[in-house]
Amino acid sequence: MGLIDSVDMPQPVKFILNWGRKYSLWVMNFGLACCAIEFIAASTSKHDFIRYGVIPFAHGPRQADLLVVAGTVTDKMAPALKRVYDQIPDPKYVISFGSCSNCGGPYWDSYSVTKGVDQIIPTDVYVPGCPPRPEALLHGIIRLQDKIGKEDLREKWSGRVTQPAVAE
Amino acid sequence: MAGSPSRLSPSDIAERLTAQFGEDITAFEDVHGHAVVAVTPGRYQELATFCRNEPDLDFDYFDFLCGIDYRPKDAGYQVVTHLYSTRHNHHVRIKLDCDAEKPVAPTLSGVWPGANWHEREAFELFGIRFDGHPHMVKLLLPEQFEGHPLRKDFPLMTREAKPWPGAAEGEEIEE
Repeated sequence: MGLIDSVDMPQPVKFILNWGRKYSLWVMNFGLACCAIEFIAASTSKHDFIRYGVIPFAHGPRQADLLVVAGTVTDKMAPALKRVYDQIPDPKYVISFGSCSNCGGPYWDSYSVTKGVDQIIPTDVYVPGCPPRPEALLHGIIRLQDKIGKEDLREKWSGRVTQPAVAE
Repeated sequence: MAGSPSRLSPSDIAERLTAQFGEDITAFEDVHGHAVVAVTPGRYQELATFCRNEPDLDFDYFDFLCGIDYRPKDAGYQVVTHLYSTRHNHHVRIKLDCDAEKPVAPTLSGVWPGANWHEREAFELFGIRFDGHPHMVKLLLPEQFEGHPLRKDFPLMTREAKPWPGAAEGEEIEE
């Protein structure tokens, strides 16, 4: 990547870079079920996640920083999800929104549902609920921003998978 | 359009079908105001065509078709076809018993084009083959999927690891 992953940046530079990144999260909504409606509710005027710098106007995965998987991922949908994830440029983040995408949820013994989106793509934040309320997504976003704020860019861009945070 | 709308009662429908098909109508039931008839495989297609063409029956709307796995309690599978007449506002369900080892049923896709996808779904979920179907391949499942998931003997891997926690209220199995 150049300078950032070859040199350890001084702390103020790191802080500024992460501060800029964490309040400009262009988000891609991978909405698959009822959770997508809660995501949309979180984007509208009452909950309004744009005030946290989460911008729901990414034209496609290639313009996005954050992928929110909201809904039931099936084994048939999984390759499409992987493809969308692969198209997002680094550094990229994933929020798994709702029980289905966390672990399969009520479809825990289904023949067709993927038991957790983290089997397909690395996930940063898990938001539990069925579906979670919009506030839970806001909480998940804040947890993700905390995580981005503390991030070492050199570490992140090395391609190593970092530990997920769970929204409480 | 021939004749005015006149709703037939379930017993009237059964009477009409029995008059035409005699012993090939093997059973009749009145379930929730709908006629439910069982038919032999040999005259299944003929019965469907009759239901569609006969002016006083006039089942012009193919509502749904599904499979049922009755094993191991009863023998084999069943194909259930639900028909509706938009003019007369009456329903009929046609039941067809299939073999447990090699379930095969005649296709209705030539009678109602809408049966095509329903039969493909019953094929992928229950493994019931529809004779004469123009395109007998999977409809919704991934292409590489193996097995027929709504068959009772289909193993659910998650349940192998963690058994079903128990029947919830209302789904107790009667023995």
